[in-house]
Amino acid sequence: MPGNKQCVAMLLAGGQGTRLGVLTKEVAKPAVPFGGKYRIIDFTLSNTINSDIDTIGVLTQYQPFELNQYIGNGQPWDFDRLEGGAFVLPPYQTAKSGEWYKGTANAIYQNINFLDRYSPQYVLILSGDHIYKMNYSKMLKEHISKGADCTIAVLNVPLEEASRFGIMNADKDGRITEFEEKPKKPKSTKASMGIYIFTWAKLKEYLIKDEEDKTSFNDFGKNIIPNMLNDGQKMYTYDFSGYWKDVGTISSLWEANMDLLKPESGLNLYDRSWIIYARNAAEPPHYAGPDSHLFNSVVSEGGEINGEIYNSVISTGVVIEKGAKIFDSVIMPNSIIRAGTEVRHSIIGWGAEILENCKIGEHQLSATAGEWKIAVVGPRTQVSKGTIVAAGEMVGK
Amino acid sequence: MNNKMMAVLFASGNENKFNDLTIHRTTTSMPFGGRYRLIDFSLSSFVNSGVTRIGIITRNNYSSLMDHIRMGRDWDLNRKNSGIAVFPPFVLNTSKEVYKGKIEALYTILDFIEKAPEDYVIISNGNVAANIDYGKVLENHISSGADLTILCHEAQCVNSSKRVIVAKNEKGTVTDMYSVEVPSSDYKMVSLSIYVVAKEIIMKWIDQAYARGLVDFETDILFKLVPEGKLNAYEIMDYAAIIDDVKTYYAESMRLLDISIREQLFGGARKIFTKVKDSVPTMYGDKALVKNSLIADGCTINGIVENSILFRNVKVAEGAIIKNCIIMEDGVIMDGSQLSYVIADKKVSVKENRELKGFSTYPIVVVKNKTV
Repeated sequence: MPGNKQCVAMLLAGGQGTRLGVLTKEVAKPAVPFGGKYRIIDFTLSNTINSDIDTIGVLTQYQPFELNQYIGNGQPWDFDRLEGGAFVLPPYQTAKSGEWYKGTANAIYQNINFLDRYSPQYVLILSGDHIYKMNYSKMLKEHISKGADCTIAVLNVPLEEASRFGIMNADKDGRITEFEEKPKKPKSTKASMGIYIFTWAKLKEYLIKDEEDKTSFNDFGKNIIPNMLNDGQKMYTYDFSGYWKDVGTISSLWEANMDLLKPESGLNLYDRSWIIYARNAAEPPHYAGPDSHLFNSVVSEGGEINGEIYNSVISTGVVIEKGAKIFDSVIMPNSIIRAGTEVRHSIIGWGAEILENCKIGEHQLSATAGEWKIAVVGPRTQVSKGTIVAAGEMVGK
Repeated sequence: MNNKMMAVLFASGNENKFNDLTIHRTTTSMPFGGRYRLIDFSLSSFVNSGVTRIGIITRNNYSSLMDHIRMGRDWDLNRKNSGIAVFPPFVLNTSKEVYKGKIEALYTILDFIEKAPEDYVIISNGNVAANIDYGKVLENHISSGADLTILCHEAQCVNSSKRVIVAKNEKGTVTDMYSVEVPSSDYKMVSLSIYVVAKEIIMKWIDQAYARGLVDFETDILFKLVPEGKLNAYEIMDYAAIIDDVKTYYAESMRLLDISIREQLFGGARKIFTKVKDSVPTMYGDKALVKNSLIADGCTINGIVENSILFRNVKVAEGAIIKNCIIMEDGVIMDGSQLSYVIADKKVSVKENRELKGFSTYPIVVVKNKTV
């Protein structure tokens, strides 16, 4: 039997991410580009390795190819280990059965054999669609010192937003007394971040029990956690403070990118003690031409910038021609913005080409700043000359 | 799989002509083009041409080179069979000192060449920046029927370093070869000191030349073969540069600001690989004004940058003005400083309101780790 890992991470990357529309038509949500040179999943992968957890299963059933290729042998995140490493785990057929992952808990259930291979004492459950930096080893330490069966990371959210989250009500020692999914009248502001540590033997027991219950949704939030709570298992919150954002919607994805431009947002990637790793594109430095103007923006390698860029995130290998203007937008890798085109409050998908004199994210002048919706151009979409894409519109294949 | 060629790369040469830039490094580990070392162009050309058995001969200051290459993984050269072999300075029992010339150096690694299964050897200097398709070179070499093919390009001899000039006929056969050490603005066919030769031939030549106490590969072996018509010249039409002193280093760096040069060196499917450092993208602030410059990842820029190259993680404070400069990794240029025609080595700090001015043909070099 290989390995005897203290803690193995399981990353739930299965969601189709329909709310991201054209951006997740061909790739799973965690593989969507972020912040110029990253993919969303880079944050959880980097957090995991930086927390000294060197074995991770990435559970995916939707468009797994791109993720599989991106993660590869895990080398960019230092996951190329003799024992352990990164594994993409799509659903598979066995002699007796074979089915899609029915829910988050079922995804782990179907990989009990994978986990047992490493005989971990603890299992860390992660989501693949959050942008944050977190040291899971601190959470694990608390889990161990409290002798917990389950520890749930929570974030203090404003009371008015609390009804959007799963809220944990806990006593003064942090022991969870009640869990409410999206409560109308929240009793606390401790929102679950979808990050759990379980003592593996205990979780395995509940996963097997849950699988036998035909009425179950096989979901951590709906079934496993309430069931454990009902049985009086020792469940604690772990308080996280710092930047954290679920990027499951177009507006939150856009906002998280924009947060890179604001030091006060708390999203700081410049800290060399907690590096966010990514698969490298082998591109030369970007070139800022004689007519370029770059203002409060982030620009990645390989770009040829000859236009004007304001408050935007320009990803690897992007071409912005002379006379093009970009405002408050995210331009994903290898897109081309031709001369005379203006892009505002938009997300331009990877490999897209916006031909000359288009207006993307065109808003009515009467609209109040901050109320414009984000326009989206899908990956590898060509937008023909002079096209107007209205604010909030989504175009693409 | 194309495993017909192996390569031998000379890491050292002309270190004394780089002023202070090569105190800590070999020529081939000179930072170049914003995020590369010179050796990246050689290694990437090899790898992209299917050449994966590479011996690197070093002579001095090779620790920065070893640190850069590590196990060769960033060039996909961490192979079970083949990969990179670094030969530290080798002292023969018979000679009692570090090798004097290429003949002696090659003699010390004849074993490495002999044991390799490849039929052809690329012998290359490490001071060339070019993106070379060796598959095409080998095709040309084989069809020429020559013993050895010399890679060359049309260029001026801008400095007083030794250059080998090659004359060829329309078939590509070398008709004359001589060396010059006088700068001139005439365009000539200049040897890049990169050769492709069959394994048995190079082994025979080196064995015989070493036995006769010959030192210089070019003058003692190649020049003498010209009359026999056994040498072939292959002209590199795309960008290629020999970088062997501060003047050529500065001039060739600045040529990269031209998009057509960048397309020749970086464009297309043959990527240039380098050591991955996981830098974040560059951040431009409210006061940044950047024109005609190459900017690597990880910089934070809030000042004026024109006609310059910034390597990774350079910080330019508000009010700083940088014109016609090369600022290497981790440079910090503080508020109110004005720099023009400066080459700042790695980790250089320029404090507030300092002024440094060089000239295009004589840029000022600021030594690694220094504070101005």
